[in-house]
Amino acid sequence: MDKYQHISDKQLLEKFYTDRDNDWLGILLQRYTLLLLGVCMKYLKNEELAKDSVQQIFLKVITELHKYKVDYFKSWVYMVAKNHCLMQLRDKPGKINLELNEKFPAQDETSDKQQLLQDEKTYALMSVALTELNPEQQQCVTLFYLEKKSYSEICEMTGHTMMQVKSHIQNGKRNLRILIEKKLNELK
Amino acid sequence: MNENLKNILSNLSTEVDQETLIKYLQGNLTEEQKNDVEKKMLGNNFDDDALEGLQQIKNKENISTLVEQLNRDLQKKLIKKKQRREKLRFKDQPWLYFAIIIILILLVVSYFVIQRLLKNN
Repeated sequence: MDKYQHISDKQLLEKFYTDRDNDWLGILLQRYTLLLLGVCMKYLKNEELAKDSVQQIFLKVITELHKYKVDYFKSWVYMVAKNHCLMQLRDKPGKINLELNEKFPAQDETSDKQQLLQDEKTYALMSVALTELNPEQQQCVTLFYLEKKSYSEICEMTGHTMMQVKSHIQNGKRNLRILIEKKLNELK
Repeated sequence: MNENLKNILSNLSTEVDQETLIKYLQGNLTEEQKNDVEKKMLGNNFDDDALEGLQQIKNKENISTLVEQLNRDLQKKLIKKKQRREKLRFKDQPWLYFAIIIILILLVVSYFVIQRLLKNN
């Protein structure tokens, strides 16, 4: 159990910038070990390479944080990890050339969504909008959010693959938002 | 129902702790708990990528050991860095003190030499 659980990433970074003690970075990085391993596995598809990459990312993060001030650690460390993996792939001939400087969502991307949520009208419109989604998206969104089924259960029930289920849920969620915004504009 | 509908557009994902995520990967959560983890991780690029990658690890039972190993290595590196820094600091100090003492001795000696020369003249 992380005994520093009550301290946020931002506070840990502030503590580090105050006394430049790497121990704070150690605590912070350990929070992301598993996620970093996952990201490296996704891109490199090899456990040993992924492990080595996580270690290299740790070192890179420690060095870079001494040079720059970082505000949103999670987004930043993800960018460092992803770029590291893509560089590794780029170094290997025959691999797909991927875009390195992909834009990251702004930290407060969710603010307008939250504003949307505050509007009670939204809930009334959502039930209607849900029926306007294509059948796959409607089914997956309903099973996932309303019936609280896990991905594996939805796969079993629908016959879709895990990737398809995730894609239907994500696209369904996006389309639902677009539909609601459209309906809200029509009401104005 | 209203609360569930609210979840669809909500992006206020509270973090999933590593312990819970490992349990999820090892299949040690109920279907409802799984749904909760998936809901929290959906829509965040970092979490999405990580989950996809972690699912590719063949021996899921080994994940905790892998993480512990990586954390131990990180700690070792941090301790090594710290020791190196402290060593440098410790090494620096004796030279500094030595130089100051030499300068002071030289100053005192030159004072007495000048005094004696002046007296002799």
